[in-house]
Amino acid sequence: MNDYAISVENLTKFYNDFSALNNISFKIKRGDFFGIIGPNGAGKTTILKILYSVVIPSAGSIDMLGLSPTNDAKKIKSRLGVVPQDDNLDEDLSVFENLIIYSMYFGINKKESFRRASELLDFFSIAEKKNSKVVNLSGGYRRRLLIARALINSPDIIILDEPTIGLDPEYRLNIWNKLKLLNKSGITILMSTHYMDEAEKLFRNVILLNHGEIVLNGSMDYILNKNNNDNIDGASDNTAYKKEDAYNNKRLKSLEEIFMDIVKK
Amino acid sequence: MKILKVINEINSNISLRFYAVFYRNFRVWLRFYKPSIIGDILEPLLFLAALGLGIGKFIHNINGTPYLLYIIPGIISSSSMYAASFEGTFGSYTRMTTKGIFDAILVTPVSIEEIVAGEVLWSAVKAFMSGLAVLLISLIFFRPYISVFILLIPIIIILNGLLFASLSLFITSFAPSYDFFSYYFTVAISTMFLFSGVFYPVSALPVIIRYIVYIMPLYYTVQITRALFLGRLDLLPLLMDLLIIIIFSLIFFYLSVYFIKKRMIS
Repeated sequence: MNDYAISVENLTKFYNDFSALNNISFKIKRGDFFGIIGPNGAGKTTILKILYSVVIPSAGSIDMLGLSPTNDAKKIKSRLGVVPQDDNLDEDLSVFENLIIYSMYFGINKKESFRRASELLDFFSIAEKKNSKVVNLSGGYRRRLLIARALINSPDIIILDEPTIGLDPEYRLNIWNKLKLLNKSGITILMSTHYMDEAEKLFRNVILLNHGEIVLNGSMDYILNKNNNDNIDGASDNTAYKKEDAYNNKRLKSLEEIFMDIVKK
Repeated sequence: MKILKVINEINSNISLRFYAVFYRNFRVWLRFYKPSIIGDILEPLLFLAALGLGIGKFIHNINGTPYLLYIIPGIISSSSMYAASFEGTFGSYTRMTTKGIFDAILVTPVSIEEIVAGEVLWSAVKAFMSGLAVLLISLIFFRPYISVFILLIPIIIILNGLLFASLSLFITSFAPSYDFFSYYFTVAISTMFLFSGVFYPVSALPVIIRYIVYIMPLYYTVQITRALFLGRLDLLPLLMDLLIIIIFSLIFFYLSVYFIKKRMIS
């Protein structure tokens, strides 16, 4: 068993002549909270879809949990939780049925699936909506159910594609807290987002994608430090820099500013 | 051979897990089963009443069989064809596109092959319910005239269901929109309904048209169902018909898996 949950090497994807991904390489340690950021159309979703085996890469190699998606897609998927960008909850079923039916796709037995479903509904505070139809749920509930569904198989890795998009601040915070807890319990998280404040708060390691290429890669601390070293008075000898103070004095660049600098070039 | 390799790969990706795909559809159907069953019974009854009683008044018998009895096996076959075709086109297409059900399943260990197999089985079961409804009604009214071989008809209905489910999934696999299905229903399904011997013996048709009928899968189902219904069994031709139904089913099943895979995984 190696230390990496996911390692990707020289990943390339063409759609006809259009190059969606160009020679992407990165590694995600087990237990990491790993983020992919980048503007619209940068290739974030393509990477995630390749990792959960619904897009076939044009070139490159992938190792997930020591397995290869080309040969062991089923095995990988059984240890993976996926929260897609487009909500595809089953609107013909109730909240609880959504979880139960989904657990059948993983071959989880009835007793176990009832136990897990109830546990997840409690964890995401949606137990009171257990028997509601999905159509009648608000956006915040739907999103939490979508994440709960991705956890029904107790995955080792969860992949989330912009899971907080369109949510109000309260629901967003709620989901952040849940994700942090899950990560603490040992689940490796790979997530994409548009929101730089979110990225800064959640991700330990991150890649910034632009036009299908990685333009920045490293730990969040490193990225914030490195891109601020030249700008902050005395920052070079300040390893344990005080973020809040710096923000207040407007000395530190936020991730958003760093992002804008790079993407604009 | 490339084809054999593709078929082998498809086979290797099918486990009993496809039952979950079937069960999901069944579970949803349970919510609305009453109107669905009433429809299954009502529509064929209308055909039987209108044609059997109406036209039957003028045509007393065909080859010695009272007209109403003559068309019952045809209606059993055609109503199961319609049930499988509606579910395999409109139903499956909706689950594949607007409802995102296939997308949601695809990220689990269930394979595309199993999704298609589950969908085909579900459409076939709907066909079965529809065909069985007609069979049971005819049992109530015409028991003295019916052969004991009708006990085998349920098997033929389910095979017919699998056949039209596979064909419909194949159509669905490349359908660009719902409108496309109206061509399919007009060109393929209605043509089969009218020409496959549901209402009259195919031998009445001009030779050229008869050759076209021979490529229509429904023709073979009608042949077998009628023979079993009336107890006029000629074993060898019946087995041939059966074989043709199974071959048609397999061809369309593999084609639909192949094309739906292409569509869903880019």
